[in-house]
Amino acid sequence: MISVGIDAGAATTKAVVLRDNEIAGYIIIPTGFDFRKAGEKAYEEVLSKCGINKIEVGKILATGYGRSSIGFADKTISEITAHARGVGYLIPAAHTIIDIGGQDSKVIITENGKVVDFLMNDRCAAGTGKFLEYTAKALEISLNELGTLALVSKNPAKISSMCTVFAESEVISLRAQKTKKEDIAAGLIESIILRATSMVKKLGIKPEVAFVGGVAKNPGVVKAFEKALDTRVQLPEEPQITGAFGAALLI
Amino acid sequence: MVEDSIFLRSLDLFKDAFPGRINQILKSKEDGKKIVGTLCLYVPDEIIYACGADRVILCGGRSAPIVAAEEYLPRNLCPLIKSSFGSVIDQKCSKTKSCPHFGLVDLIVAEATCDGKKKMYELLDKYIPTYVMDLPQKPENQNALEYYIKELDSLKDVLEKLTGNKITDVLLRKEIKSANETRRLLHALYELRKRDSPPIRGTEMLKVLQQMHFLAPDEFRKNLVLLLDELKVKKRESSGPRIMISGCPMASGNMKVPEIIENRGGLIVVEESCTGTRAFWDLVDENKEPMRALAERYLKIPCACMSPNDRRIAQILQLAGDFNVDGVVYYTLQFCHGYNVEKYRVGEALKQSGIPLLSIETDYSGADSEQIKTRVDAFLEMLE
Ligand code: SF4
Ligand code: SF4
Repeated sequence: MISVGIDAGAATTKAVVLRDNEIAGYIIIPTGFDFRKAGEKAYEEVLSKCGINKIEVGKILATGYGRSSIGFADKTISEITAHARGVGYLIPAAHTIIDIGGQDSKVIITENGKVVDFLMNDRCAAGTGKFLEYTAKALEISLNELGTLALVSKNPAKISSMCTVFAESEVISLRAQKTKKEDIAAGLIESIILRATSMVKKLGIKPEVAFVGGVAKNPGVVKAFEKALDTRVQLPEEPQITGAFGAALLI
Repeated sequence: MVEDSIFLRSLDLFKDAFPGRINQILKSKEDGKKIVGTLCLYVPDEIIYACGADRVILCGGRSAPIVAAEEYLPRNLCPLIKSSFGSVIDQKCSKTKSCPHFGLVDLIVAEATCDGKKKMYELLDKYIPTYVMDLPQKPENQNALEYYIKELDSLKDVLEKLTGNKITDVLLRKEIKSANETRRLLHALYELRKRDSPPIRGTEMLKVLQQMHFLAPDEFRKNLVLLLDELKVKKRESSGPRIMISGCPMASGNMKVPEIIENRGGLIVVEESCTGTRAFWDLVDENKEPMRALAERYLKIPCACMSPNDRRIAQILQLAGDFNVDGVVYYTLQFCHGYNVEKYRVGEALKQSGIPLLSIETDYSGADSEQIKTRVDAFLEMLE
């Protein structure tokens, strides 16, 4: 059977095609303004990438912030349940899932593949991918460079503002004080780590820890996380698609 | 999913009561009756009515008046406080047409509960005479009850002066009796919600309870009897995870979170809130000296302004068992420190009892509706 999971995220839309529970292909595209259009585009592109015809598709399940806009889906599911399912399949030993996406961050605790508790921060950009994106701009580097640059820092700067707008001006004043770029980069990463680890601590860490979402692709963040949590952090091969993958599995 | 196939005619009595009640207040005023405004459950209705005055609740649940209030009050203040204050300002300064009752009261009987309200009352007094009743903050203290009785005695004097009427024990007993009757009816109604398929939804119940201190007690009770009669005979198919709401009051106009919960397939079976059980749970002892009996009953209200407040935690656990609750949605308004801080201990107690908790902290805007939906969906999926 062929099933498709679509994760309509605020920043990116992800689609995963499963053939008998094996990934046949996936795609990640920017969401832009319109969840529905992005969902349709991701769906069509992923099918053509896999050489699959629409009539062959058994079921479509949508998840993510814009899930209710995906009108052609058979069902919708929250991204919390979807990530838990996806990560549970890929990394069965993981019981604490940290997901940092473009616009939100969440921590999910699971037991036998089921969600037992979760926390979400989605009220502002603090502690999300957006935070890094904005502040990287203030450093005039790309998001990827931020991560690699941070790895060489020996003395991370203290960024005290959680708020993206204030952090941006903090970066500007640090630059004026001639603080090293790598130290600012590391400081920025520590700031979002702090936010996520406080959520993890609130729920109580349950080994193993898995890290997913777009920000998990950033090696600097991963390393900082392992340091802050004092434990190894597991990553799926493609951390950005666990929501869509989980949704496709849930059919 | 909760099915909405049946139609409760008597619910309209509550929903459509607004204009009639406003006319009633206007008429009472013409007849020389005094109107008292209240903003908290710690102010006993019985004393106000024994004095021949009428009472109307001034707790604001709408977001529109908040803009006006923010000219006077800080932004980081509980929306209930801002909405209430803003509604008075709207009436007194710009004479808007909505919610005229805010402008019709002769005296506000306020109370020393949370800091935000206490300080807001100092400003409110400029627009409507506001009498602030003190409350013991540690209800289990030895002299807390005696102190509260004294405060109620002072309130009695204030009301007698306002109306020119004497409050006698006979009058108090009569009011206590009928208020207890209302409480018993609400208990009977909540009893029906313990069923596997409750005949009334949480959103419907909330609309009823939001009228409890707006309507005159007799009218509220009369409508309640009709509703109860209707509910007793109607069968309703409802399913979905059984949810308890616990936390801050949801004043009239504020339906956001319960609506989301029930639209997404949850079934609200009980609310531990001032628009829920706290409004009617304990009865007044009809055999005791009335003022003492009133003080004893009202001091039992487990508000998060009080410390210690273990009785609230005990009550939540009790209700969770009695109503066969699958999960608790802990509802708080932003900047309500009492309920937000108490969340930790409630969460710990629920965890020990194996009852999942979802915490939602919000305000009166619709800005976070989508985010709340995601949390609620995930919570319901987790409970299924
Ligand atoms: S929550 Fe506390 S302060 Fe507010 S109405 Fe209830 S008893 Fe009064
Ligand atoms: S909700 Fe909390 S902060 Fe607001 S008025 Fe009630 S007790 Fe005070």
